[in-house]
Amino acid sequence: MNKEFKVLAKPYIAWLFILAILPIFVMLILSFMFSEGLSFGESYFTFDQFALLGEDSTLSAFGNSMMYATLTTVISLVLGYFVAYNVFKSKFKNKFIVLTIFILPMWSNLLLRTEALGNLMEHNNIMTDLLSQMGIGLSIGIKGSPLAVIIGLVFTYLPFMILPVYTALEKIDYSLEEAALDLGLTNMQKFWKVIFSLSLKGVATGSIMVFLPSMSGFAIPEILGAGNILLIGNVIEQSFRNMDYNFGALLSIVILIFIIGALYVVSKVDKEGETLL
Amino acid sequence: MHLVDKKVIIELSHLTKQFDDEIVVNDLNLKIYENEFITLLGPSGCGKTTTLRMIGGFEKANTGDIIINGKIFNELPPYARPINTVFQRYALFPHLNVYENVAFGLKNRNDQYLKTFYQIDPTLEKKVYKDILDRKIDESVVEALKLVKLTGFEQRKINQISGGQAQRVALARAIVNRPQILLLDEPLAALDLKLRQNMQYELKEMQKKLGITFIFVTHDQEEAMTMSDRIVVMKDGLVQQMGTPKHIYNEPVNRYVANFIGESNIIPGVYLKKDLVQFMGVKFECTGYTFDNNEAVDVVIRPEDFDVVPLDQAKLVGQVTNSIFKGVHNELTLNADGIELFVNTYENYEVGDAIGLKVDPYEIHLMKVQKDE
Repeated sequence: MNKEFKVLAKPYIAWLFILAILPIFVMLILSFMFSEGLSFGESYFTFDQFALLGEDSTLSAFGNSMMYATLTTVISLVLGYFVAYNVFKSKFKNKFIVLTIFILPMWSNLLLRTEALGNLMEHNNIMTDLLSQMGIGLSIGIKGSPLAVIIGLVFTYLPFMILPVYTALEKIDYSLEEAALDLGLTNMQKFWKVIFSLSLKGVATGSIMVFLPSMSGFAIPEILGAGNILLIGNVIEQSFRNMDYNFGALLSIVILIFIIGALYVVSKVDKEGETLL
Repeated sequence: MHLVDKKVIIELSHLTKQFDDEIVVNDLNLKIYENEFITLLGPSGCGKTTTLRMIGGFEKANTGDIIINGKIFNELPPYARPINTVFQRYALFPHLNVYENVAFGLKNRNDQYLKTFYQIDPTLEKKVYKDILDRKIDESVVEALKLVKLTGFEQRKINQISGGQAQRVALARAIVNRPQILLLDEPLAALDLKLRQNMQYELKEMQKKLGITFIFVTHDQEEAMTMSDRIVVMKDGLVQQMGTPKHIYNEPVNRYVANFIGESNIIPGVYLKKDLVQFMGVKFECTGYTFDNNEAVDVVIRPEDFDVVPLDQAKLVGQVTNSIFKGVHNELTLNADGIELFVNTYENYEVGDAIGLKVDPYEIHLMKVQKDE
């Protein structure tokens, strides 16, 4: 029985080696070389691309990434916490159905969703058309602005905040709330001293799960920023597109180090690992 | 003890609670006195916990009043009541250690409250009284932990202590606030037998020492008997009987109470005339009851109240059908003319032995026959 299971696991292990671990090594090697794309004929080892890391354009892209990711995380935390808390406090019989509705957008394709959102952010789109038919002249053209990117990021990554926070809240025994009231706390005190304190695990996990993709992704700033806003993901994408594999690989490795560091923090905070499922 | 002299601390007046269509507590009237250990006793679903939760402020009564120190407290939230609770599963805060759990109530009160609580001169400067408060709170917590014998456990996490210790932390966390009334919702249910018996004794001692009114909820009649000054026996939201443990044990008002509080023999009989009752075809002297002559009554005799006597002196004779050794005594089951009797005796008898029984007049308790039972 066990032996058969081991055999069944092999295709995935092969897959993991060929498509994940091997490429990481290739990237690692690429980041210390000069090469024309992937042709190694003229290639030699160099640290030239490390100098590019210190350039203003790279640093500002990093800065942008950090700023947008932080803003997205904070906004998602505030909005997501309220949603999770209200579902937790609601009297719905099947709360997971309610949560499913909240994460429903996640099931559609990211690019499609982002393009659609970008379309709604332009002056002329199907909604303004419909509204003008009804005599309402409403048109907001925010595509290409920082606001558009933030809206896109929050819209996309909010579910990653709601779920872990909700999971943490759901574990809080109601009798703890009664105990807090019994010991003389007001409802507000009870929320901060008991409920919020006990949901911090979920908040930490959720924050990291929102922060990481917002920092490293490139599709959303690309589409909604309309080329005006460069995050580090866009720089990587451009490097690869311009055949500068070496710099692209180096940046990717840097991002990877960030991600591994963050996952390490998550594994420390959330030992059971249930929020990462 | 003369309850008449005592001051009423809390009064429940015509308290009724309904969940959907089900009446859980039905027109409950109860006066609880200062420094009293009172137990609400009954099976699950009898309304005892709901009553406790209404007193604590976690449930609102549909009708009726909760009067504490002469003031109506119906609408006040839990934090405004001079009451603390020891919850059934303790409800300790898992993110705090033992010390922080106990300090939780005091630490989160506002300065105004604490100044009155510790009787600190209200004209003192903020910096000065803050220091005094911190020291006083620390003293209170240390003292409370000492009282529950948990000195040295301050820094332990909640998941690093045993069930018995968690129970003590919960107790310390409540009494550190010096409530006038302490509510205890089956706090011993999760402990093993030996620990439970120790805690019963300690709780009673603590209640005497602190002078706090304890309102205790349990389904365990032995627990109720051991600790209480008074017991309130409840069933289906109605109070069946209230009184001292002795009174309830010796003079149950109906079959339900007689069965719930200890073992008993309930035998149909007839009240012939004053101080004379007939059951199982034999006339017995009795004392202290007044019914109509020739009225049907239920006769209650506790298993330990039967005297086993030689056959020639016996008023009743039965065959032993079962005998269980209980350590101190033997529990016999007898068949006496088709009626099953339970008798406790120190002597050993074999199954099949014939035994003679006698009952003293004051051991015979009579109850009105209830139609619905």
